[in-house]
Amino acid sequence: MRRFAAALFLTVTLTLGACSGGGGGAPAADAGQPVSGGSLIWGVETEPITFNPHQYAQAKARLLVGNTFEGLLTHDAEGGYTPRLATGYEVSADGKSYTFHLRGGVVFSDGTGFDAAAVKANADQLRAPGYAPAVAAVQLRNLSGVETPDPATVVYRLTRPDVLLLDFLASPQGAIVSPKSLREAPDLKAGGPALAGTGPFVLDRYSAGQEVHFTRNPRYWGERPAYLEQVTYRFLKESSVRVGALTSGQVQVIEGVPATDQALITADPRLRFTRALNSGSAYAYYLNVSHAPFDDVRVRKAFRDAVDVDTVLNAVYRGTATRAWSVLSPSGPFYDKSIEGGYGNDPVGANRLLDEAGWSTRDAEGFRTRDGKRLTVRLVQSAPFVRDRRDVLAQTVQAAVKRSAGIDLQVSLVDQGTATKALEDGAYEVFDNSRADTDAGAALNLLLHSQGAINRTGHRDRSLDRLLDQGQATGDAARRSAAYRQVQRKVVADDALVLPLYAPADQLAASRSVGGLGFEPTAGVPDRAYGVWVAR
Amino acid sequence: MLRPVLRRVATGLVVLWAAATAAYLALLAAPGDTVDSIVGDGADTPQIRAQIIDEWGLDRPALVQYLDYLARAARGDLGRSYLLHRPVSAIVGEQVGPTLRLAVLAAALGIALALVLAVTTRRPWARRVSSAAELVLVSTPPFLIGIVLLSVFSFRLGLFPVSGDRGFAALVLPAVTLALPVAGVLTQVLRDGLDRALDEPFAVTARARGLREGAVLVRHALRHALLPAVTLVGWLFGILLGGAVIVEQVFGRPGLGQVTLAAVTAKDLPVVLAVVVLSALVYVVLNTAADLAYLIVDPRLRGSR
Repeated sequence: MRRFAAALFLTVTLTLGACSGGGGGAPAADAGQPVSGGSLIWGVETEPITFNPHQYAQAKARLLVGNTFEGLLTHDAEGGYTPRLATGYEVSADGKSYTFHLRGGVVFSDGTGFDAAAVKANADQLRAPGYAPAVAAVQLRNLSGVETPDPATVVYRLTRPDVLLLDFLASPQGAIVSPKSLREAPDLKAGGPALAGTGPFVLDRYSAGQEVHFTRNPRYWGERPAYLEQVTYRFLKESSVRVGALTSGQVQVIEGVPATDQALITADPRLRFTRALNSGSAYAYYLNVSHAPFDDVRVRKAFRDAVDVDTVLNAVYRGTATRAWSVLSPSGPFYDKSIEGGYGNDPVGANRLLDEAGWSTRDAEGFRTRDGKRLTVRLVQSAPFVRDRRDVLAQTVQAAVKRSAGIDLQVSLVDQGTATKALEDGAYEVFDNSRADTDAGAALNLLLHSQGAINRTGHRDRSLDRLLDQGQATGDAARRSAAYRQVQRKVVADDALVLPLYAPADQLAASRSVGGLGFEPTAGVPDRAYGVWVAR
Repeated sequence: MLRPVLRRVATGLVVLWAAATAAYLALLAAPGDTVDSIVGDGADTPQIRAQIIDEWGLDRPALVQYLDYLARAARGDLGRSYLLHRPVSAIVGEQVGPTLRLAVLAAALGIALALVLAVTTRRPWARRVSSAAELVLVSTPPFLIGIVLLSVFSFRLGLFPVSGDRGFAALVLPAVTLALPVAGVLTQVLRDGLDRALDEPFAVTARARGLREGAVLVRHALRHALLPAVTLVGWLFGILLGGAVIVEQVFGRPGLGQVTLAAVTAKDLPVVLAVVVLSALVYVVLNTAADLAYLIVDPRLRGSR
């Protein structure tokens, strides 16, 4: 009797819960022409650990940073750059100095003026010890100094040609913060209302754990101020709560809609759903070649071809994921489309390769063995950084490689410390990663170059390094493309160093009364609120 | 009079020190070091590491860092968060309020609900229904309770807002979510206590004096039943703090729960230590209060000290 009552109670409450949120209603009129004024509430998944653009490390924070801070350049939709706080730039013939002409009449929201000295102060601050070590060691590695011949001109001098400087100047870390804030802000590295920028909004209120509030910057230098007077971003970490808040009208926009909830949004006539692929590198498994069994290219190819990536992705993401064929995201300009369909899903070939490599016997559980040792490879995932159900994806891949080729993929989900320790000790054969760099070359340098700061494959290949260096040294898009095409072909098709899985994407869901929502060109993450309006 | 108080304060300080030290040792023993956690999954080069070590003085021996921490803490300086780059006292200070409001309301609701249920559901059928409900509440994860309450009362009926620490309306659902499991356990303990008290001879005497059953229950049996319930105050605090982590996450509320979760996952030592010490402090205060409550509830204990 007791048990029955309990079950009944649970069923009733669950049914009540499940029924909710679907509520129909007539489709609202679309947002129409832009109108100025009003306010917007936006539910976001991630609360940034810092609002200081120089300390930016979370792609999910990009839409917030962009409201307040701007760089000299920004990305256009074709993978190039358009001026923002600069009006134009020239590159010297040797590719080692970049001269920028600055926009006049721009003021920071604290009232101080934007000029060459401000740009230099930012570059100097970034290289100050202990301030932004990752930026100093990666993006500004080749910077020798910044000169200011006159208040409207800035020259970046490099020790060697590095076209990624432009990407840096269009990135959040390259944004220009008021030098007054850099000198006086009490918690500089945390950012917040004390840091002034040039952007269309001013961050005026931050309630940790709850929300961040922006007000329109009336003195914005652009052709018009922002449409919205105010925009509030609420931190709603649970996806079902974000979706519920949207369907019940408590927020007008949300970002981050998981596969399981997308049908709920698209079925609702009052709502609109859009998605875009992120820039940078695809989510992929990088294979550690520094010891057995992946030191043997046959075993790597067998692992790569044992997985039917499409089936695996469908099982986990219900048809909402975009398969990645290359180490790069298909949205970028360097993506090599010819790689598609050229490899993979070949269990027969995989088994043949493993037989050839000596892994020809099987143990009682059906796993392949060689000299009595099981064909085991380990993937260590750091729990704080697991997103997009990557833990479930790993389990599905685990089942796939076991079934089709008898490979024992051991997946462990651990804390950050344990994960770092495993990486330091080389106690892994598979490393998973995706990077949202706007210039895919930056991601490849980190992950594949033998000097790369996230090179976990142990792969040291002079010809690969040369290709990556070529891609970084020239500003010529065709030559960069050619170099990066060779890189992709080499690491995915020829050397099977990488098993690409899916292209990370961002989603936006919004009430139809909200107009002007979109994704930032190139980056493919939700754009800042400058062009957003609410119909009234 | 003064000596027992001093003794209590001294014991409390020792508990605080022990809690801080235990947390320190636990974090020290956890795999990976502080630099690893600060580097995270980003770029990792020797120069980056050297700068981080320099910034936080991590090259000093662990014992020196520990003693330095104690010395600063004694002066009220809890350090700066590795992750958030702000003073720990500010981070914890601004988050105590929302959690405190949530915990107090949840505790009050839970206790009130438990008292009402234990006293009113004396009839066999009512008992059965109530027991079943209690069992469900105790065994349902707060996460699920929160989502169900949100779906019904916020998303469906629009009665309460989903997120934030914005007035009383936003506090209702989180507090109810936390209060329900508390009420579940407390009701069972209280009912059990009532059952036993009503079997005691004094209950028979009271009835013989012509007291009505309700009066016997509330005036006599309830007092006895309260003793074991008061003992649960430490447990109650643990449930509220642990539940706050989940409830704050689900409801998008600011508070110590979220701070703790982020700090523990990032191994943000200064913040973790501050939260541990603060929890220990509250624990000490609550247990002292519980000891005093025994004296109020049970006159027999008053003479014994």
